[in-house]
Amino acid sequence: MATSTTARGTRLPPEQIGYLVAGPGRAAETALARLLDADLVRVSRDGLVSAVHQTELGASTAVETVILVNLRNTIRFDAVVRNAAKSAEMRTLHQQLRARRLTRNPRPRLAAWWVFLAIGGVLSLAAFLEPWTLFGAVGFLGVAYWTYGAKPLTRAGRAALKDVTASDRVLAVALEGFRGRIGNQSAGELFGLPQSVVKMLPRKKKRKARATSAAGCGSGCGSSSCGGSSCSSGSSSSCSGGGSSCGGGGGGGD
Amino acid sequence: MAGIRDLGVGIGWRSEIDLTVERLPGVDFVEVVAENLHIGHLPESVTLLLERGVPVLPHAVSLSLGSADQVDLRRVEHLGAVAEAVGAPMVSDHVCFVRAGGLDSGHLMPVPRTRDALDVLVANVRLAQRNLPVPLALENVAALLEWPDGELSEGQFLAELVERTDCWLLVDVANLYANARNIGTDPQRFLDEIPLERLAYVHVAGGEQHGDIYHDTHAHAVLPEVLEVLDELCSRVAPPGVLLERDDNYPSDTEIAGELAAIRAVVDKHRD
Repeated sequence: MATSTTARGTRLPPEQIGYLVAGPGRAAETALARLLDADLVRVSRDGLVSAVHQTELGASTAVETVILVNLRNTIRFDAVVRNAAKSAEMRTLHQQLRARRLTRNPRPRLAAWWVFLAIGGVLSLAAFLEPWTLFGAVGFLGVAYWTYGAKPLTRAGRAALKDVTASDRVLAVALEGFRGRIGNQSAGELFGLPQSVVKMLPRKKKRKARATSAAGCGSGCGSSSCGGSSCSSGSSSSCSGGGSSCGGGGGGGD
Repeated sequence: MAGIRDLGVGIGWRSEIDLTVERLPGVDFVEVVAENLHIGHLPESVTLLLERGVPVLPHAVSLSLGSADQVDLRRVEHLGAVAEAVGAPMVSDHVCFVRAGGLDSGHLMPVPRTRDALDVLVANVRLAQRNLPVPLALENVAALLEWPDGELSEGQFLAELVERTDCWLLVDVANLYANARNIGTDPQRFLDEIPLERLAYVHVAGGEQHGDIYHDTHAHAVLPEVLEVLDELCSRVAPPGVLLERDDNYPSDTEIAGELAAIRAVVDKHRD
């Protein structure tokens, strides 16, 4: 099944969608999925990946090119993803997404962020009696804002993912990863990959609070909020990825 | 020999393309390199194919039946054990030697086509046959040289080998084509001389011309000329099986399927 590199209904190609959904590892998985889809690489049952041709012909992105170059010798499935996720080409992809304001530098949320908010709130109220406390209120509210953290995906990034669905198997990998579920099968199975190969990729742990969210966000980026996806089975399934907003985080293959 | 009739069209199973082989439509049988399998630990893919009822034929490359040294019975026993593990109706190796004086050539070396060399080969083949649980088929090799003082043509040499050992023949039409290109073997005469009723199955493979030499690489596409040799063979006898051998530089699944289809078309043309 050959797939257009441009996702239907969006201007972003699957690789970039993968990056926005779950970071460089997912983008690397997506690039590998596209190469598999185009019959440019093959995977053996013991998880060794090899290029079908000893050239980069057929690669549609820089990340795909670097994967094919590295595959002049067979490489383990997980190492292909890991190497691509750490490549200079992937960093360039990230910079492109940042330049388009689809991602930003994430800031971790400090557990005690609300303490600064509370102090800022109290100082704000106190400013009615002692106006000089307003300076402190502004400072503490600023610290509260900063320590609240920021997700890597911008509003524009979330909007770009809004209506993306797993309308083909490459997009299924972009949205869910090879280990993610599409209906009652893993996205890897859409490519005929045995579970032993798919499981070479590490499954990202989800936060407890998110663990009950809908299936299909298997190899999320850890700070994911993947609720709301509704998957049906089959390679032609439509699996909503619109709710995903876990871009920029660690790679699925790391 | 019961069990090898109508093998159909097959492909050499290699671990690099195991999933491809499993998925390809119309693979009637496969061949495995016996030296690459370990008894008690068959590859999952081979087991899967066996469960589907696909015949798996062990093909050896290391018996060195043409060596002046006696054949290594440990290698014969391994080949026999692989045959039993996969329930194969037959096994095969080559009419060649791969070691001499304790050195391995790393290549299938042609045997001098002399009566003395034939005696050595016959003795080794008989010894191997006595230690194998299933019949043995022997394959003609591609040669880049001919030893001097040959007394028999390749076809005559193989015919006498069959007569004296009752072995089966595995005819590699790509090797035959390579020999025609490189050392002037006449494929027609070869096919005239060998006992086609003892044909077990046929190998088809690709190669590439480098300068004046045609290299039987098994890593390039099957040439139309090789299919013409297959066509010539099929015009004389319906081969029990025809197998595509590919050992490296594996093309896409689509291309492999195309080569299998081309082989099947040649075979079917003569069955209609």
